[in-house]
Amino acid sequence: MALLEVNDLKTYFRTDDGIVKAVDGVNFTVEKGKTLGIVGESGCGKSVTCLTMMGLNNRRNTITSGEALFKGEDLLTMKPSKLRDVRGNDIAMIFQDPMTSLNPVHTIGRQLVEAIQLHRDVTTKAAKTRALELLKAVGIPRADRRIGDYPHQFSGGMRQRVMIAMALINDPDLLIADEPTTALDVTTQAQILELMNRLQREFGSAIILVTHDLGVVAETADDVVVMYAARVVENAPVENLFNRPHMPYTWGLLGSLPRLDADMERLTQIPGQPPSLLNPPRGCRFHPRCPYVMNVCKEKEPELQPISNDPAHLQACHLDEQTKDREAAKLLAGTLAEVS
Amino acid sequence: MEASVSSNDRSRITSGDELLVVEDLKKHFPVTRGIVFQKEVASVKAVDGVSFTVRSGETLGVVGESGCGKSTMARCVMRLLDPTGGKVIFDGRDITNLSRADMRPIRRELMMIFQDPFASLNARKRVGFIIAEALEVHKMGTAGENKRRVQELLEVVGLNPEHYNRFPHEFSGGQRQRIGVARALAVNPKLIVCDEPVSALDVSVQAQILNLLKDLQDQFGLTYIFIAHDLNVVRHISDRVLVMYLGKVAETAQRDQLYTEPKHPYTGALLSAVPIPNPAQGRARKPIVLQGDVPSPLNPPSACNFHPRCPRFQEGHCDVEPPQLYSFGEGHVAACHYPLEGWPLSEEEMRRPSGRAATAPSEQSAEPTPTT
Repeated sequence: MALLEVNDLKTYFRTDDGIVKAVDGVNFTVEKGKTLGIVGESGCGKSVTCLTMMGLNNRRNTITSGEALFKGEDLLTMKPSKLRDVRGNDIAMIFQDPMTSLNPVHTIGRQLVEAIQLHRDVTTKAAKTRALELLKAVGIPRADRRIGDYPHQFSGGMRQRVMIAMALINDPDLLIADEPTTALDVTTQAQILELMNRLQREFGSAIILVTHDLGVVAETADDVVVMYAARVVENAPVENLFNRPHMPYTWGLLGSLPRLDADMERLTQIPGQPPSLLNPPRGCRFHPRCPYVMNVCKEKEPELQPISNDPAHLQACHLDEQTKDREAAKLLAGTLAEVS
Repeated sequence: MEASVSSNDRSRITSGDELLVVEDLKKHFPVTRGIVFQKEVASVKAVDGVSFTVRSGETLGVVGESGCGKSTMARCVMRLLDPTGGKVIFDGRDITNLSRADMRPIRRELMMIFQDPFASLNARKRVGFIIAEALEVHKMGTAGENKRRVQELLEVVGLNPEHYNRFPHEFSGGQRQRIGVARALAVNPKLIVCDEPVSALDVSVQAQILNLLKDLQDQFGLTYIFIAHDLNVVRHISDRVLVMYLGKVAETAQRDQLYTEPKHPYTGALLSAVPIPNPAQGRARKPIVLQGDVPSPLNPPSACNFHPRCPRFQEGHCDVEPPQLYSFGEGHVAACHYPLEGWPLSEEEMRRPSGRAATAPSEQSAEPTPTT
């Protein structure tokens, strides 16, 4: 059984302008101890998917349907008190901005102790020892002294380490990391990714890594979900996705990326902007920007289905497979042929 | 390798035609104590002796981590900040100490594109006004002429000329950045300083803006200083690249040289930290993970300011004697006593410097530093 199984997840927000379909029928599974990368541009619903699973949306204006089965139990219909128990115990989350997700008026030691005591019945002294242990585990130098410091006394990378320490308190089975390295520099990003990899090996947690950086996904994820305009457009093991991308949007993302391993005089650009989720286009949501658009794309929304010779590789596109194989090969040849 | 040939050609044709020369630029921000009698107790050395040249028609990429002084350096070049020391020579004229009035006609030639397309456009003004403001300030035409010029510019940057009367909030991030580009182009500048122009944008939009900047350069013969922290983006757009660390130049080279044969260990670490969007290749290599964070520029490490994080740190040398810019030919210089012997290097090789360049700089460089 998969650790987490998300089926037809929908999150709609009621706003003054109408209903925003922020997540509209998303399916994926996360296996135990594996990393799932969710990629997509801003506003494609990747963060909302995570927040919905954690029950962190404002209930007043949110309509949620579908199911998110964690160890067989549905997170969406779970009683709030039970969910509270799962959150932080079995599932933990790391957010993008480590400054705004730590409380600036309490020392990090106090915040860690609070989080430990929420879930475990231990003395403050024992909690403090545990906090110190965690800070050491995430590689904070002179942890015994830094434990009394306030968040502003830490650099961005160090704050993100504190966040990770806090997430690891109860050895969660699933760690949701929402753009954990976006606010960081490359060298710090490398440190944090290495740390997450090491901790995954040690603690055996599964990770959902939400990011817009295809490079980060390629290096850390086992499976990848590509989202566009609130829907999943491609879902495949990482090797297959990068070696044989099967959806024009994925091609566009790969082609628009300046990269160190290939020379490109001009980047392929995806024309236009992502659509508004208030009123998404009919049929395939990518069709107004798709260079391969056919009549059927404007009418019928493609289903997420496996490609013929690879059942693990799901994609949602009407284009026939021969054309796709040809175009994908062309794209890869375009980037790989020029490697010096 | 078409790209590299064409960029080399360009630099050869224009060499000697130096549009901007920066010599030993310094910007120190004082740290004061006391309210009435503000006593200077220390200074933040944001930029500390940076020298480089930009040739007409080329793109100089500037990379470095946050807080390394890239933006401060750009602001000093633009004279938005007054440098503490050093010289900025633009188009053959020393502009370091010009008065505001003398500076004004020169400002026409130097424009800037900012990082945040949401904060850099006045939310209360219409797009037409925002773009035409520079034209009015420099008294460059009648109202009718300016309007036509603005509409032409909107078209050049790929927006609809009818958007003239709209407000910035009606545009998406990418479109706003196009407005920023149009504003910078309005007065026909010679040099455009782009301060992280694409870091706030999504990849597909980022590609649109990068392509636009390249097209405009070909069309109008613009010169760019392109500041970014993303090494992929800098590699794509630059002819030459300058790597900064803690207010100083770590390495400068032609683009292809820098990316294929980095000499400074910091450049090496940066390159190896960039994730590659290709699982097989990306996972095969082992990144050189630097320890710790960038130190505070308030109290930078002695001698080579990279030594506390450097994998090839040699005690008694790197922390005692500041490295000069050693030359590696063709304008390739790096400030390191123990430059990398090759690339890529394993972690083991990284830690064991051969010490070939540990001798005096005169042996290493035909022309003494600074070379570029």
